[in-house]
Formats: sequence, structure tokens, C-alpha cells
Amino acid sequence: MSFRGTTGAAAGATAAAGAVARGRRAPRGLRERRARTGWRYTAPALIVVGAVTVFPVVYSIVISFARVRPTYDGLRVEEWTLANYTTMFASQAWLDALVFTVGYTLVTVAVELVLGIAVAVLLERLEVARGWLLALLLIPWSLITVVSAQLWGYLYNATYGAVTWFFGLFLSEPPVILGTPAPAITGMAVADIWKTTPFVAVIVLAGLVRVPRERYEAAEVDGAGAWTAFRHVVLPALRPVIAVAVLFRVLQAFGIFDLPFVLTQGGPGTATQSLAVLGHKSLFQDLDFGMGAAVSSATGVLVLGCCLLFLRLFRSQVDENAEGGRNAEGAA
Amino acid sequence: MALTRRSLLTTAAGAAGTALAATACGAGPGGAPDLEAAAHGPAGPATLRWWSFAMATHEGGDLRTDLIRAFRELHPDIEVEIVNAPAVTDISRTVLSTALVSGAATPDVYMGDVAWPGQFAYNALATPLSPVVPGDYWRAYPEEVITALSWEGDVYAFPFFGDQAFLFYRADLLERHRIEVPRTWEEVAEAAARVRRAGGAETGLVLQGAAYEGLTANVAEFVADAGGGILDADGTEVTFGGRAGERALGWLAGAAESGVLPRAAATFREQEATDAFTGGGALFLRNWSYVWGVVDAPDSPVRGRVGVAVRPGFEGGPARGHGCLGGWCNFVNPHGRNLGAAVAFARFCAEEEAQALMMRTSAYLPALTSLRESAEARASRTPTLALAGEVRLVPRPTQTPRYPQVSKAIYTRVNTVLNGRTAPGDALAAARSEIADALAGRSL
Repeated sequence: MSFRGTTGAAAGATAAAGAVARGRRAPRGLRERRARTGWRYTAPALIVVGAVTVFPVVYSIVISFARVRPTYDGLRVEEWTLANYTTMFASQAWLDALVFTVGYTLVTVAVELVLGIAVAVLLERLEVARGWLLALLLIPWSLITVVSAQLWGYLYNATYGAVTWFFGLFLSEPPVILGTPAPAITGMAVADIWKTTPFVAVIVLAGLVRVPRERYEAAEVDGAGAWTAFRHVVLPALRPVIAVAVLFRVLQAFGIFDLPFVLTQGGPGTATQSLAVLGHKSLFQDLDFGMGAAVSSATGVLVLGCCLLFLRLFRSQVDENAEGGRNAEGAA
Repeated sequence: MALTRRSLLTTAAGAAGTALAATACGAGPGGAPDLEAAAHGPAGPATLRWWSFAMATHEGGDLRTDLIRAFRELHPDIEVEIVNAPAVTDISRTVLSTALVSGAATPDVYMGDVAWPGQFAYNALATPLSPVVPGDYWRAYPEEVITALSWEGDVYAFPFFGDQAFLFYRADLLERHRIEVPRTWEEVAEAAARVRRAGGAETGLVLQGAAYEGLTANVAEFVADAGGGILDADGTEVTFGGRAGERALGWLAGAAESGVLPRAAATFREQEATDAFTGGGALFLRNWSYVWGVVDAPDSPVRGRVGVAVRPGFEGGPARGHGCLGGWCNFVNPHGRNLGAAVAFARFCAEEEAQALMMRTSAYLPALTSLRESAEARASRTPTLALAGEVRLVPRPTQTPRYPQVSKAIYTRVNTVLNGRTAPGDALAAARSEIADALAGRSL
């Protein structure tokens, strides 16, 4: 089963059914009967997915090519046009949001990856209290972003925030963290890294425990130091899980909305305005439905393109991971 | 059957077809709701849903339940159920606009910001009200309020209560340093410098400087103080800029540079500004009338030490006492099933009985001119109510349906002046060009 084929829950289910059928080499009639049963079982889920995912996505794409205006009788298309896209591509606000979102994604995902691997390696070596630490570590990840963003907002508050107070100990004039672009972007990235590093750590830890002991021992026998062993033994074995963690994180970071919406509202100026925040403003503050749809469609296409590219680059790793998972299941 | 390129394409094409069909469904002529029947009042028993937020009374109750009780004495067969609106204005707008665009029949009546009518009327989210009231009905309210509630010659919401901006000051500190209540912004800066030098306060003035609508309200006031505006009377030409714009933004930049206005103000909304003032750190606060209830609350650390004045003006400027026109009004959902009852309720809240009840039992400013300027109001213990009639209301250019983009151009640019990143002249030029783009429909 190829990872590329699993673009949705329903697709995964049918593909899996197909794989099972192929695996047993059942006679043709039986295979068709099984396929029909498979479709019957998945039909309710398919209808729900179609109604709440496929339809809205396609509808957004359609109205992104229109000048739409609400009337007392519902949305009315006044004109089919490319104007939403031409305005958007020419707009400095969109370009700024794109640069911010891409830069923010690259930096936060890179830092989370390094920290996540470090934490996972540390946890794996722990003999005691690993379970407790893991549970503690998961607290930031389990907090709803709106809540954690509010908490960081208190910490960064320019009047009574703990972080402001801390800087005040060293600096005569502590920075107004959320009021100045660079500190605001950094502050937001810190809040994000704090929350999502545990996610990366847990995924990497799952990969780490699957690295056979013998490989470490062999490396040791060959005289490799800790770093060499990590670089040449552990890291290559971790590549598949790292690829999956990066994929998930890039998808999430690219669509970041709740953190800037609560923490900075896209400010100061437009310094932390992500593509998703821009799209939201266009849709729900300006009530410009065509433009909002264009911003979200373009973002969707960008994310899709990045992920396809990423999957192509890391295909062998991701496939290996899926393969490993299935082998493990088979063994069980 | 595995997922193939062909099956994917077929699904996408099917969904696109359905989406197109759904869009075309709404392509009929957009007629306004039939208000003929509504003009004659409620047609029999009905249950209304009123989208509103809690309104504290002096006694600690909720004004909304008192208003509903009074309304039901006149209309016993109409029930009014409260739907609690989100506390954040923008989120309230998001939820309402999504529901109303899709034709939801409830809420029947919804409380909305006075900055919404232009946009809501343009997008068919509100009911035009002229057909249901007598021709001279709107004369009972300040002209600026009715202008704000109008779009293309019709009024789209019933006035409910006003919010006006005032200057709150620490009366104890001014007295200790023998300073008069300032009448100009230059005096504000001087007073702030003196008190700060003497160690009496950390900072001079706090206001709403974050990148959001509240900053646009502040800018509109400062520009009015300097004798300018944002758009012309038709809402089609940019007037923001010139000498008035330079003076307004120049003063703000200078105040931020010299510490009269703290750099942190670039992150302040209403709450943060109020916190900075009640915490004792600031000498002056620009905020809305309702904040009197907060600074004078029993648990306020500055209770009994605060005075209220109309906002100062600029030295040699046209006038002092400008205050942005804020406040809330009641809209009627055009898709409601009981338009007659909904109009009756929204109208009741705008008229004498409800407005007088509001004035006597809460800190909300009535919208009716006769009450705002009454002897009872002037003699009120609530200083914001006593001073309400003296404020020169500054409306924001909300009649253009593009107002949110116009406002965004102002607050994002001026915010960078307050944090010292942009010179006032550059910010003005950028804001002007972005406002022009917004008006031409070329902005994002």
C-alpha cells in the first residue's frame, strides 16, 4: 500500500480493502462481492466526508473565481472573473503573509525537530519515570491552542507579564514583546515550539524504541563514539518517522490561525499575519467571500504542492515507515 | 476498487457541478423582505430570539431582562428569549454574518455595533427600516447616529445605546501637582512630563493602540481634533492626510517617543488600557463611557480618585470635546419569521420607556436626544452621562461597505507609528494609498 494513495479516510479504507483482496488472490466473483460490501460499509462515511469536506473545498474554489455578493435570496455571482487572484497576487498584504507563513513554518518546524529528537533520545535513555515525564511533556500538546495562546499573552503582557518583568531585570527598557515585530514573531514562535515539540518527541520516541539494540552494540564494538553512533546508526533509522513528523508539522504550521488570532491578532502592524489570518479577515471581517475563497484556495494549493514535493523527496522513507508498520502488525 | 486518478477527477467534477448549481440557486433577483405587514405591528403570538450581550444594571442585575419584562407588559403574547452573543465584536460579526448569509431565520433581532450598518446593508444582512416607521421618526436621535445607521438613504438599525470616548484623569495626582484638567493635547503632554518627573506616575496617557478597530476610533478623534477627516461626506474620496493628519499622527509619534504614551500602548485594547490606568501607572486614559463603571467600581484601586472630562483638542485647533461615535443598535433579521414582532421589539428598545429605564438603572448612555440632553442626565451622578450632551460626536466613515478595509489600512499603519517603526508622514502616505485601493475594491 502506497502512502500516496491514502489521501482521505475513505480512500484509505477502500485501498485497504483492495489490498486485502489482492493479498489473498480470491476468485474474481468473490473479489467483486467483497468490493461491493466494502463500498456499502464505507458509503455513510463517504457521504459525510463528501458533504463536510469535498463539497466545501470545491465550492470555495468555484467562488474564488467569482465576484460574489450576498442578497436577500442567498449568494449571487455577479461576475465570473480572475480579479480575486490578480488583486491578491498584486497585493503587498498577501506577499507579506506568504513570506511570514513560509519563514515561520521553516523556522518553527526546524527547531521543533531538533528539540523533539533531543527530548526523545533523552527519554529513551531514561530508566525510571519515563512514563511520568512523557505524561508531563504531553501537557502543552494537550492544551487547546486558544487557551495556551491566552496564557502566553499574559506572560508577554507589556504591563504585568512575567517575561517583560524578566527582561526588565537586565534592560533599562524591556521590549514591548507583542508590540514590536521581531520580538512578537519570536514570542509567537516560542509559544508554538513549546506546544508542539512534545508531538515531535513522541513520534520520534516511537521510532527510537524500534531501533534494534544490536545496532548500537555493533557500533560500540566498532569503536564508534556516542555522536558517531547517533549520526550513522540512529538518525538513518529515524528518517521515516522524522519524515512523517515533518509532514504533519508543515501541514499544521502552514495553516496556523488560532495562535496569532488570539495572541497578536496579526499585529503589530501586519507582522504576524499568516495566510490563514488574512483569509479569515477577508472572509469574515470584510465579508468579501470571493477574495477570502481565493486566499484559502491559493494557500491550499501551496500546501498541497509542498506536501507532494516532500513526499516525492522522502518517498522511500515514508514507504519504509508504512511497510515497517504493516510488518509489525503482521508479526503481532 | 482502488483510488485512481480517474475516480478522483470524477469526484471533483461531480462536486464542482453541485457547487456551481448551489451558487446558481441563489442567482435570482435580490428583493428586500416584505415589510408591509411588519409595519402594522406583531401579527399574533410569537417567540423572538434576541442576540445580545449582558448589560449590567447599578443593582447588579441584567438590563435585558428588565427591558423584556417592560416590553411584555405591552405585548403579552410575544416572548423574547435571550441568545448570548460572544463578548468580542469581531467574533459576534463572524457568527452572525455566516448565519444570516445562509438565510437563518434566527436570531430575529440582533445587537450590533454602530460600525456595521453600511456593510450589513450592502450584504443584505439587515432589514431596511424606513417602511415601518413614520418619516420623522429618526429626528429623535442625534444626526450622527442616524448617519452611521444609514446606507444609501435608508436606516438599517434601531439605535440602542451610545458609547462615547472621554478623557479619564487621576484627579488626586493633578491636584497634588497643582495642575488644571488639560484642555489641549499639548497640556496633556506637559502635565504628563511634570507628574512623571516628580515620580507621581509611570506614564502619561494610555489609549487603544493595538492593530484593531479601536485604534481607528482613536485616530478618527485625533484627526477631528486637528480639523480633518478620513473620507469625504460621500465616502468616496480619501481626506485622511494633509495638515490635520500630520498634526494628529505627529502628536502621537512625539508622545510615544517622549514616553507620554508608553510603547506598550501599541498592544493595548480597551481592557489593557483600563488595567494600566486602574493599576495606578497612568495619569490619563482615553476610553469609552462604560469604563466609568470599571474605574469607579467598589474593587477599583483608583476609586474616588478619578475625574472625567471631554477629550482635549489641539492648541489653536477647531474645537475640543471630540469623541468617537460608538455604541450598539438593534438590527432586524430580514429572514425572520415574525418580522412584525421583531420590529416592535427593536423599536421598543429605542424609544422613551426603554431608554429612560436604561438611563435610570444602568451606566449605558441613552440614544434618544431628549434624554441625552435632559436636566436629569446633566444632574446624573454618572459623569459620563452628565457630560454626554457636550461631546462632539465623530462618526467613522462606516457608510462605505468597504469600511473594514478602510479601517484596516488606518490601524495597521498607525500602529507602526506608535511602536516607533514608521515616521508619521510615511504611515499617512501608505494608509492613504491603501484606503484608495480599498474604496476601488482593489484591496485585500
